[in-house]
Amino acid sequence: MLRDIITKEIQDMIMSPRFVFTFLLCTILILLSIYTGINNYQAEQKEYSAAVALNRKNLESQQTYGTLAGLGTKINRKPQVLSTVVNGVQEAVGRVATVNIAYDPSMIDSKYSSSPIFAIFGALDLIFIVKIVLSLFAILFTYDAIVGEKERGTLKLALSNRIPRDRLILGKAIGGFISLLIPLVIPVVLGLLILMIYPNISLSGDDWLRLGIICVMFLLYLSVFFTLGLFVSARTSRSSTSFLLLLFIWVTFVTIIPKAAIMIAGQINPIPSVHEITAQKDAYLQEIQKEAIAEQTQYFKDNPRPKEPDKIAKWNEELKKWAEDFQQRLTGKIDERNAAIERDYQTKMRGQQRLAVNLSRISPASALMFASMSLARTGINEHERFLNSVKTYKPIFTKWINQKMMRSLNLEEGGQQPKPELDDMPQHEFMPERFSDSFSRIMPDLVLMVFLIILFFIGAYVSFIRYDVR
Amino acid sequence: MLEAKDLTMKYEDGLLALDHLNFKVEPGEIFCMFGANGAGKTTAINLFLNFIQPTEGTALIEGIDVTKEPLKSKDYVSFVSENVMLYDNFSAFQNISYFSKLAGKRNLSKDDYAQVFKRVGLQEEAFNMRTKKFSKGMRQKLGIAIAIVKDVPNIILDEPTSGLDPRSGQEFLELLLELRDKGKSIFMSSHDIFRAKYIADNVGFMMKAKMVMLQSKEELKGQDLNKLYVEYMQEHTDSE
Repeated sequence: MLRDIITKEIQDMIMSPRFVFTFLLCTILILLSIYTGINNYQAEQKEYSAAVALNRKNLESQQTYGTLAGLGTKINRKPQVLSTVVNGVQEAVGRVATVNIAYDPSMIDSKYSSSPIFAIFGALDLIFIVKIVLSLFAILFTYDAIVGEKERGTLKLALSNRIPRDRLILGKAIGGFISLLIPLVIPVVLGLLILMIYPNISLSGDDWLRLGIICVMFLLYLSVFFTLGLFVSARTSRSSTSFLLLLFIWVTFVTIIPKAAIMIAGQINPIPSVHEITAQKDAYLQEIQKEAIAEQTQYFKDNPRPKEPDKIAKWNEELKKWAEDFQQRLTGKIDERNAAIERDYQTKMRGQQRLAVNLSRISPASALMFASMSLARTGINEHERFLNSVKTYKPIFTKWINQKMMRSLNLEEGGQQPKPELDDMPQHEFMPERFSDSFSRIMPDLVLMVFLIILFFIGAYVSFIRYDVR
Repeated sequence: MLEAKDLTMKYEDGLLALDHLNFKVEPGEIFCMFGANGAGKTTAINLFLNFIQPTEGTALIEGIDVTKEPLKSKDYVSFVSENVMLYDNFSAFQNISYFSKLAGKRNLSKDDYAQVFKRVGLQEEAFNMRTKKFSKGMRQKLGIAIAIVKDVPNIILDEPTSGLDPRSGQEFLELLLELRDKGKSIFMSSHDIFRAKYIADNVGFMMKAKMVMLQSKEELKGQDLNKLYVEYMQEHTDSE
């Protein structure tokens, strides 16, 4: 009997105009999103390769270690292949960081900063389609699942037979959900096939695993709205009331809670602005520069250049040694102080972010976004990990360039400084987050969605058992 | 056999919807219950189908108390509603197939359904037609076809002839007579005295939750049922 109810639900839904409309729209949107995702990824890969080559060329073209120290090296973030389905924050946060001896590195040159028009509406990626379009369709499929049958009179006719109500609601839930999955699964499978066969797109086993879990998150997210629809449909006596109520909840979940959570977190845990932090760093830099000039003057006072030619070579050697120590000490102080300011700022910012994330997690839409971005490695966390790796690299680079710069000082009048050699330049290394770490990060989101599904389904189940079918 | 014993329904807000209703429908009998809107006819049907629980008394289907054994009692009754509403995207075949499976009839072939359709007077071209295109008469016929396929001893009909054109109404009543002659117990609520009087074996008049008159066909012989109904209603309204 359960099978008959499930089959009937699927057939009834498939033959309805809303299914045809949903299927067509989903197929077009999903395939379009994957196609544009692939194109964007390929364009970013090209840009990345070009940027890396250009950086190398720039480094090689420097005439002295001094100019190299000022110019610094550019660290480009490699595009993520899963950005083809989950764009995340990568277009907003910048793709490149400059590491030099002076400034604290930060990510710049985001796609939105170079083309602000993209920031207005965001990307049409697969997650957008699931989060907005398919969740709306989940409501459209379920708002009249129970109340609509009551209005039509078919519920009375069905229940005049020997059918336990629990079996009827279970059959309706399974059949309805399968009907909702068809417009998602078929185009997504087609899209994944395109990903597989497309040239220059290579997904590793880890990527496929991540993609699989992202698809599971999609299913859970849609199940939340599906069971919510069933629940509301079993609590109302008019389908119009059910639809309006669901629409209200959808707007609250998808748009209001995520935005409100960020605002509330900002009010509860305020943090200093980036300008304040920069001002603090600049003030210290000026202080250090003053100290440096004083120390430099003092050194030359204490150690004047000897007049005897045989002593000059020794004096030069001592100066080089002192200059290297002096430079290392100076940059070390700056780095240390900047790191302390940054640490304090990061702690405060993380506190605010954590609060915003936890508050917005009440919404399944936020939970879906956080989980999918973590899995696709296109979220805030991966961005911060990358930036931290650049910041860790900065003192390593600074130490190397200081050493090179001071050892290559030519204090002879008109003396030439050697051209920089890059063979032993330390390279920036970044290990993308491991799957196990990403998975443990998404656990709260996964648990929350499962909890909401169980809660709404139990609500629908209990309500239907007591439902007045008249 | 259908039987109501002191069947009473009082809602939580104090509204008395049915007040100690008593009647019995034997096999091969048609019982027509007349009354204005809100008199309690549909409440009685809802109690027999266990859509609501009585506050007092019992509704019995083949001697089974529907409150105590709701699922078992439904094995012995079919229901045809006032406006037979079906799955509009389904054809007549798909609708009857689904509802007969719910009724536990799993091994019926398309030919079996086609025979029932012919029996209720549905045209062959309607078999595969989506029911959204059906007229009210066609829907009622399909509704009774679903009840026939279930093949149970009792049929409950809620205002089955309302809104039917004269010809469809007549065909429908003839079908009920045929079922009665096959030994079915038929309980029908109606406003339509003109049509129902020709087929009823027993009639009951409902007014304000009470059955104010219960008479057999023999007792009604030679009387004008329309006139009697109007007089009864008038009398009971005046006495209040």
